[in-house]
Formats: sequence, structure tokens, C-alpha cells
Amino acid sequence: MAKKQIGRREFLISGGIAVGALAVVGTGVHYLDVARSDKQLRQDFLRPPGAINEIEFMYGCIKCGLCVQICPVQAIKLAGAHEGLSYGTPYIDVREQACDFSCDAMQCVETCPSAVLNFIPFKEAGLAAVEKATAGVVNLRNSDINPFEVQKVAMKETVRMGKAHVIKDTCLAHQRKGFKGISRGKDFEGIYRAPDSKVAWATPLKDKEFDREICNLCVTECPIGEKAIVFEPRKRDGKMRPRVLEGCTGCGVCVMVCPTEKPSIVVEPVKS
Amino acid sequence: MAFDLLKSGKNKPPLKPKPMEEMPHTKLGIKYKEWCNSHKTRHKWRNIRWAALIFMNLLFVVSFAFDLSILEGSLSGSRLIGFYLMDPFNALQVLATSSTTGYIVHLTMNFWIGLTTILLFWFFLGGRTYCSWMCPYHFLAENTEKLHNYFVKKKMIKEHSFHIGLRFVFWFGFLILAVVTQQLVFEDLNVVGITSRAMIYGPGLILFWVVGVLLFEIVYSKRFWCRYVCPIGTTWSLVGKLSPLTIRFELDKCGYCRDCQDVCLVPHELWFVQRGKATQKVHYTGSDCTRCGLCIDTCGGNALTYTIKGWGAVL
Repeated sequence: MAKKQIGRREFLISGGIAVGALAVVGTGVHYLDVARSDKQLRQDFLRPPGAINEIEFMYGCIKCGLCVQICPVQAIKLAGAHEGLSYGTPYIDVREQACDFSCDAMQCVETCPSAVLNFIPFKEAGLAAVEKATAGVVNLRNSDINPFEVQKVAMKETVRMGKAHVIKDTCLAHQRKGFKGISRGKDFEGIYRAPDSKVAWATPLKDKEFDREICNLCVTECPIGEKAIVFEPRKRDGKMRPRVLEGCTGCGVCVMVCPTEKPSIVVEPVKS
Repeated sequence: MAFDLLKSGKNKPPLKPKPMEEMPHTKLGIKYKEWCNSHKTRHKWRNIRWAALIFMNLLFVVSFAFDLSILEGSLSGSRLIGFYLMDPFNALQVLATSSTTGYIVHLTMNFWIGLTTILLFWFFLGGRTYCSWMCPYHFLAENTEKLHNYFVKKKMIKEHSFHIGLRFVFWFGFLILAVVTQQLVFEDLNVVGITSRAMIYGPGLILFWVVGVLLFEIVYSKRFWCRYVCPIGTTWSLVGKLSPLTIRFELDKCGYCRDCQDVCLVPHELWFVQRGKATQKVHYTGSDCTRCGLCIDTCGGNALTYTIKGWGAVL
């Protein structure tokens, strides 16, 4: 097949079309961006721990999926094309699989090459906590302090993916109801490491049977503990109910374990 | 001497075409057509390349599927046994957006290591070698290209070709778009990344885009994405400007049949195979060459071989 020489004129024409196409793409992206920023206050995605604010997140996320791969409980998923500009970016669907911190190391954050999951705050918090805990300790070996444990706890408490809030209309505790049995049914695939777990790794939720006079699964299963959520009587009528505190990380374990058909506790992603 | 190797020799006056006595088929004493077809069924390098390409992409898939820490991530960014690798055009976009917003200071050391490692790696292997030996879209396009060739042969469609400089319009265009929109725009359209992610993390609706591009290539313009659009390929071609690994052409063994140009993804790189075009006895392909080896397989006179430029000078 003879290859004819393609001259400057053809180049200018095709180049012009290319520039036009790029301009259309750019305008489209800009339009979607503006349309999305109206909803900015109600950001739909719960991003993995350490995510910088949503607008900057889009600068840097190269959609490689390393965070997806490293997560031991496979909580992180990549958004599909129907999410528009968010295609390929990571999010966590906590109802299906919450982030339970059983990796103990913020692995998704540490692995992120473009630092849109920013490890620096966790590193600093961990070091500060260790420094505080070991201040005045002369010989670390003879003391009860385990610096790794201190660092782990400090790091996970620094996470602010979102904040949980209880939906009173359906919450069993608010209706003074108890719960007995397997919370999400025998077919539920989600795994997590309960605070009272005897093993260091995550186990299936369906393997655990609960029996509570007043349902308080969200409180007892919380990986953060009493800094994040407490079960206490309401002042008005002494009714026991869960109350989310400032320490909530938005990890979503409460949402995953909630036994009602629609979760009676949901995580609202952080607003940037 | 070493500097001479970098010159293409295109500006020099061409050598005189070989007379009939010096043509390879006369030397062998066979008919010209017979000589041309003598290697039509040889697929040595293609098979090696396909095996390597499938192996590398499978490595991504099994690393995720079976939780092995061999080659994690996708072609946009990955970790090879703990070492980060970064797609260079992706990295360029991140650099472009982040330098205008000041976010650049937050980029991790792994980002810089990943970028440098991969640039060095593919520099030695020839830059665009990535396209034919690694890129899953190349594999798809290479195979659907046969359909296109069939349609053209049956005169059902016309071949449309464009100026090869169009890639630079797209290359700069996507970088500018990244800065203007503050989004990695190209990554949403990147058929390479999409194919890679679809294989590793499961398919999605976005695959319709890949199919669309493939269809366009089949019915309108052969290898349109790879030849004229893909900024990843353009980046690699810039990286490969001085690459040592390339393809060597020996005029003495050439029979002017130009079969190699027919199978080539970037035929302009083989400009010297045409009768009366070569200016030197030996030519090397330039940075657009993907080192796919199709021309080596198809050449009846073995005039084309893989070579490492300057190797002789080093020895």
C-alpha cells in the first residue's frame, strides 16, 4: 500500500479537529465539575482514610488501585464509569465492607504513591503519641508500654473519613428492642476484627452470634471504642441509646454490623 | 563515532538503488515473489512478544486475585515486589496540576522513585517498547487491525491516515487540559489504563469506550489511537530518543519488497526500506519504533535485526 506524503495542510486540518475535540472534552469535564461542586456539601463518596479534600483528591489520584490491592479486608473499591469524573477513584461502601483497622498500619495510606491519601498526619500523630507515652520512661524494655501498640491506636484515632449518626426512627435501641442472632444473616460476606476478638485478623461477621437485651452492636463492635461512640441513658427519660462522639473516625463498622434492614446508623463523609 | 549513531541519516543524499545482480533473490537464484513470501509464516518475535505481554498482564491479575505481592496496582501505577513504578504521562499530569496548585511538595518519595525507575527501565529497552511488549490495548488493537486490513482489501472501507505530528497536539493538549480543569482528564479516556483496570479489578461500563475506539480503528483509520493520539506512547517515544536497543537495517540484504512497512505500526520509521531512499548501508529505526519485531519476522532477507546501538563501540 503506497503511503502518500501528508502535507502541512492536512496536518493543520486534523490538528484543528484534535484541538476542537480536546476543547469539547475540557468543557465537558469543566461542566461536570461545576455540576458536581453544587453537591459538594453532600459528597457521596466515603474516601479511604487520609484522603485529602475532594477537590484536591481529583488532582492527584492516578487510579492505580494500589490501595484496593493492599487492603486486607477489601473494603476499598474503584468507582465505575457511571460515577462520571470519579471513575476509577477509590471509595468505601461501609454497609458491604467497612474499614475495620485490622491492618493496624494504615496500609492504604502508606501505599498511595501520589499522596492523595496523605500519610503525614498519621505519622506525626503516631510519633507524638509514642513520645508522650514514653516521656520519663528510662528503660523501655522494663516498662509495660508497647510503643507499637501506642502508635497503632494513635494512628487509627487520627482518621476522619466521616462521622456516623444514628437514625432514630429505625434504631432498635431507640425502640427499646433487643437483638438475638446473626446480625446480617448467614449470607453476608463482610469481615471485621471485633474488639473482643481473640485473633489478630478479621473474621466473618456471620460467624458471630449476638444476644443483647437492648441492641448495642454499633457500640460494642466499634474499633475505636468509647472515644467514638457510647451507650448511655438519655437524660430526658433514661432510655439507653448509642451516642456518637467527636472521636468517630467514620470507619463504618457500626453501619456494617447494624442488624436493621436499612442501617440505622450511617456515615456521612467529611465535608471539605 | 558514538555521536554518528544518533543521527538518522535522512538528510544525506540517497545511495543508488542496487542493480538486479545484487538483489538477494538473484543471489539465491529464486523468483522475486517466492523470495518475498519465504518468511510469511514466521512469527518468532510476535509469539515471544505476545507471551511476554500476556505474562506481564496476567502477573497484575494474579497478584490481585491471589493476593501475591509480585506486581500490584495497574498500568497507571504499580509496585513490582515493593518497588514503585509510575506511568510517566500520568506522572506528568500530576506534576502539571500539582505544580500550579502548590500540591507538588506533598508528592511522596515513592512517586519520584517510581517515575525515575520506570523512565530508566524503558529508556534502556527502547521507550516505545512499552507499547508492543506491555500495553494490553496494543494487543487488542493489533488483533483487530486484521479485520481492518480485511475490510480495506475487500474495498468495503477506505484507509484514512493522518499526520504523525497529531500526537503532539494531543500530548500538549491533555497536559494543558489537566492544568486548566485540575483533573487528570486523560486518565478518564485512557484506553490503556481502562483495559488494565478492567482486567485486574473487574469490567465496567467504561469498557464501551474501549470498544468504541477499537471500532473506530476498524472502520476508519488503522491503529488511530496508537499512531495519532496516545500521549503515553508519545512520552515513551520522547524517552526512547537515545535508547540503545533498536532495530538495525542492512541495505545489502534488503529486496525492496516493503513487506516490513506493511506490517509496521509506524511505517514512517522504516522510510529507508524503499527503493532508492536509504542513504547509508546500515540504518537504525528511530524513537517511534515500538520494537515489536513484526518487520524482523516478515523480512525475507533477514535485513532487519534487533541490536544494541553502540555495543560494538563499547566492546
